Amino acid sequence: MRLKGLVFAIVLLGLAMAQTQVTFWTSSTNPIDLAALKNIVAGFNKTNPKIAVKLVQVTGSETDAAKLMTAVAGGTGPDVYMLDRFTIAERAAAGLLEDLSQYKAESLALNYLPYAWAETQFGGKTYGLPFDTDARVLYYRKDMLRAAGVDPNTLDPSKGVPTIKTIQDIAAKINKADSSGAYTQLGFIPWFNQGWHYTWGWAFGGKFYDAKACKVTPTDPGVVAGFQFLYDWAKNLGPQKVQTFISTYAPPNYPPAQDPFVTGKLAMVVTGDWFLQTMKEYAPNVDYGITYIPTPDAKKTTWAGGWSMVIPKGAKQAAAAWEFLKYIAGAPGQRVYTKESAHLPTWRALLNDNSLYDTRHLFFKNLLPSANSRPPLPVGALYWDELTSAMNKVTLNQAEPKAALEEVANRVNAQLQQFCK
Amino acid sequence: MTRRERYNLLIGLLFISPWIIGFLAFLVYPIVSSAYLSFTRFSGFGAAQWIGWGNYTRMAGDALFWKSLYNTAYYTLLAVPIGVVVAIVLAVAMNQRLREIPIYRAALYLPSVLPIYALSFIFIWLLNPRYGLINLVLRWLGLPPIDWLGDPAWAKFSIVLLAQLGAGQYALIFLASIRGIPQTLYDAAEIDGASQWHKFRFVTLPLITPVILYDVVIGLGLGLQVFAPSYIITSGGPVNSTLFYVYYLYNNAFRYSQVGYASALSWVLFLLSVVLAYGIFRWSRRWVNYEVGT
Repeated sequence: MRLKGLVFAIVLLGLAMAQTQVTFWTSSTNPIDLAALKNIVAGFNKTNPKIAVKLVQVTGSETDAAKLMTAVAGGTGPDVYMLDRFTIAERAAAGLLEDLSQYKAESLALNYLPYAWAETQFGGKTYGLPFDTDARVLYYRKDMLRAAGVDPNTLDPSKGVPTIKTIQDIAAKINKADSSGAYTQLGFIPWFNQGWHYTWGWAFGGKFYDAKACKVTPTDPGVVAGFQFLYDWAKNLGPQKVQTFISTYAPPNYPPAQDPFVTGKLAMVVTGDWFLQTMKEYAPNVDYGITYIPTPDAKKTTWAGGWSMVIPKGAKQAAAAWEFLKYIAGAPGQRVYTKESAHLPTWRALLNDNSLYDTRHLFFKNLLPSANSRPPLPVGALYWDELTSAMNKVTLNQAEPKAALEEVANRVNAQLQQFCK
Repeated sequence: MTRRERYNLLIGLLFISPWIIGFLAFLVYPIVSSAYLSFTRFSGFGAAQWIGWGNYTRMAGDALFWKSLYNTAYYTLLAVPIGVVVAIVLAVAMNQRLREIPIYRAALYLPSVLPIYALSFIFIWLLNPRYGLINLVLRWLGLPPIDWLGDPAWAKFSIVLLAQLGAGQYALIFLASIRGIPQTLYDAAEIDGASQWHKFRFVTLPLITPVILYDVVIGLGLGLQVFAPSYIITSGGPVNSTLFYVYYLYNNAFRYSQVGYASALSWVLFLLSVVLAYGIFRWSRRWVNYEVGT
């Protein structure tokens, strides 16, 4: 009896030793995305008994890779890391990522959406495989529109792209304040959630990068116009009053269940496809619709981002990690992620599989061909943070758009220079 | 040195070798290496490229460097004195002769043992413009509500307030110091007709000045390195109003892969704190009284 147990233990141990352990880090904190990632890892481990992938949640964010950098420098980095795709060039330039050309990653290029693939390139080499992508649209709560006497059908996507003017008029009817003048309900805050600098810069026809001159161009007239729009919107509502509204109903690190759109404090918001899943989980009974991001000239606009899978420098199980990369960033992994987290795939074949998308999700998918994407720059994170800081100043009316953006240009171009040929 | 002495020295060194190795590997080496890196362009990986004083001249023209320095100075100059006052008040409160005093002591001390992460989340709730306790009190007093964390004019001060939740630690040291003051001094003061305030002002306060100096020096060191609140709560915002020096340094190193520039920033901060610490010790000779308990 005892001997049997011993033999069993030895066999188990042997199995465990024969398995290659692959560590997979993600900085994601979204419960929906994490659950989907866990399912993908479980699926891979089942079909690949020789490799055991372990998912580990670490601190970090889109532009913050401190944990990864220190671990890799100390020789204790993971084998696979989920990295925001637009920062690949920056991390590759820093020497943080393994060059995937050694695995002939290029042979996979045609399976992916071109812009997503382009974001994995630096200096003519491939440093990651594209994972998900996304698109941004305008969500609107039909119940709140109706309560304010607005026919929700005016925003139906069949009516085309709403103009800024339309949204302005609707929002004005929804805004409410208490006796002290503090807003208790707002129609629209253009810079909230996914209403980023890139969102409005592109909505106003701006360009962010001039590849020929090797210069970022935040002072492009279109980008300035987008920032002017934010400036005026804030001025109209009272910049500090809007800020107080955000501090009240969307305090720092608020959980998704407290999102002001979910709780019915904000009637319209620009956000991405993943928010469909948030609504499903936290506000299943709310009547809402989605339409195009408003623009001044009723031209369609959106932008696509997304994440990637990379192998950091010094990965101990790089070969096994590559096997996992092909799985999670290939059709099997992206299929699960698309279905469970309501992101979009970068794997082109999955875009034709309509069983993966419900009606609303299809709307996003159909926007992808016209989507913009951020320039993959070796100073991408810096550019993002500087634009955010400028937007912050502008939405609080503490700086004029032109001046704030000129500062961005100066600061970012000074650092970009060293990478120019 | 005789053979015996040499032998003893060797044994002695052997016994403290864990500390020596630790000191060399984890303190001296990083310090020397960061000094070298501060003269290079270095992403954190690969070869560092020598650029001389480049990082230091860049700092002079870097608006965010000056902004973060200003923010940190503002924070430290407010947080340290306020912290000393709060800690002394707490210590005096903890020193009252009440039956249930152990409970009060524990309650006053508790926030300082909470992890900063948990504390920050509680703090965010306390400061909510509409639902927060602090604005509720302001409203009772007939004062206008404040957007503590969202208004650039108030955000820094909010972080100063947050720091006060950690005052329990220092209050405990003050308490120990106050308890060490001989009763005879108070008795003598009473005979001379001293009021409660006089006893505090002319007996207690002079005799706890060494602890005040300790609090000021430690507080200064921690204040200059303030990081966690901007990392957890504000991300340096709004409008860079809580972009503290070390947070800016961190961003350069770990977001923008500019470890060389970050090293230069850390050396400037180090030199500044050395100068400040020296100044405070010089100044302290005028007001610190070391004759406690004699």
